[in-house]
Amino acid sequence: MDQLTHPTQLQEEEILNVLKQFITEVIGEEFVEDIDITPQSSFTKDLEMDSIEIVAFSEKVKAHFGKDIDFTGWLSNMDLDEIINLNLGDITKYIRSCL
Amino acid sequence: MAKYLFVVPPFFGHISPTLSVGGSLLAKGHQVVWTGIQEIAAAHVPPGGRFIVPHAELEEYLPEIQRILKRQDDGPHITGAETLKLALEETYIPFCRFHMKGLSRIVDEFQPDVIVSDCITFAGALCAHIKGIPCVTTTPVPPDVGGDAISAPKIHAWWQQHILRLQQEFGVYTPESVVNSNQMNLVFTSQEFARILEPPTQLKFVGPVKGRPNDTPFNWERLRAATTPKVYVSLGTLLVDIRKEFFSKLVEAFAGEPLTIVAATPPEIFEQWPDNFIVQGFVPQTQLMPEMDAVICHGGFNTVNDTFMNGLPMLITPIAYDHFHTASLIEKAGCGIKLRYKRLKVNDLKTAMWEILDNPKYRAAARHVRDTFISAGGNDKAVEHLEAFAAANSLTMAQK
Repeated sequence: MDQLTHPTQLQEEEILNVLKQFITEVIGEEFVEDIDITPQSSFTKDLEMDSIEIVAFSEKVKAHFGKDIDFTGWLSNMDLDEIINLNLGDITKYIRSCL
Repeated sequence: MAKYLFVVPPFFGHISPTLSVGGSLLAKGHQVVWTGIQEIAAAHVPPGGRFIVPHAELEEYLPEIQRILKRQDDGPHITGAETLKLALEETYIPFCRFHMKGLSRIVDEFQPDVIVSDCITFAGALCAHIKGIPCVTTTPVPPDVGGDAISAPKIHAWWQQHILRLQQEFGVYTPESVVNSNQMNLVFTSQEFARILEPPTQLKFVGPVKGRPNDTPFNWERLRAATTPKVYVSLGTLLVDIRKEFFSKLVEAFAGEPLTIVAATPPEIFEQWPDNFIVQGFVPQTQLMPEMDAVICHGGFNTVNDTFMNGLPMLITPIAYDHFHTASLIEKAGCGIKLRYKRLKVNDLKTAMWEILDNPKYRAAARHVRDTFISAGGNDKAVEHLEAFAAANSLTMAQK
């Protein structure tokens, strides 16, 4: 079991680290300092990204992970509660599913 | 002469343009009545007009109305998606339910030729639909046609579902929304500033409308003695909770700078203000604007309209609600700089302020916006549309 799940976890952790870097670039280091970024961090509540920041973030994701990742398209198919509850772990999983 | 009934929400930003247009209708001899779920100061109602709150029918909802009004203070602390839910589910729809009964009585008593309903006051348009009275919508903010929220299919469906369910509660089973007029929607900005290239035919962009002069006293001598660039700062009438935090950032950024800051806020939020700040709770904003060199605000539309009617550049710090959309329009028009309130840094505030004061391109763009506002026609155009609408509808009614 360990051998099966282990590579997945590693991959998700790698993705998460890249995303953390992008978040820092988009919202600014001084604002990230006050936030403990984890897979549970809510995208809109904890990170408080506005739509322009989300677009900037999404472009970085595309540039890094490939143009097949339609992050904003994925978001636009959500309902309000899904958007409110969206966390970084969900985004990591979505990116992995596209790779 | 015609009878117009304005239906307004308990938010002064939405009421204000209707008072201006209603005042112009009254001056031309029409009869005008307003109705809302909360009283406004009598001084705001134009001479000859009446503002009616159906107290008897509203009595049982009073605690709930107060709770909902207080809840609006949460706007700056919640996400955009939560704000949408707060607006539709917790504010617009309950307010519509509370208002309907009393509104229906007022309509029966006044017998208006036209109901003019604000875009978030669904009761007006719904009641007009039920009673077969022609209806016009008023929209004080540049509408976000095709914006993020609307283009997301599930959010659009959520909105639509709530509206249709509300309509059904009042016996309206049409498959389309009737809570805004499908015939005429007066928008108090210019089409160019709103960046709506192919507007639906019912949208009529009439630009900002002017109200009555505000004779609030002000220390004009002190203002005129100031030799440094003058910057007007307002946070509007809402957002009471974050006022102190907002102004403390401004004090940190601009205390001792070669600027004169005119701050519209109750002075008692701080014990002491820097010497270059002139602070007053209520100010004669319309008369102050022509004396200013720039404006800082969060994006409340009355201040936005006043600013660009005077061709001034703006530093906009969007906080919640429609501020973000307005801020993006300002950036696109080139007439100001946006600094998001949540990520406001004192140094950025300073740099942006001097950029809009020193770089003439912002003022030039602001003057261009002013020209589009003025040519939209203002009060005269709004009255012309409403008179033509009443006349056309009385003609079709007579034919029936």
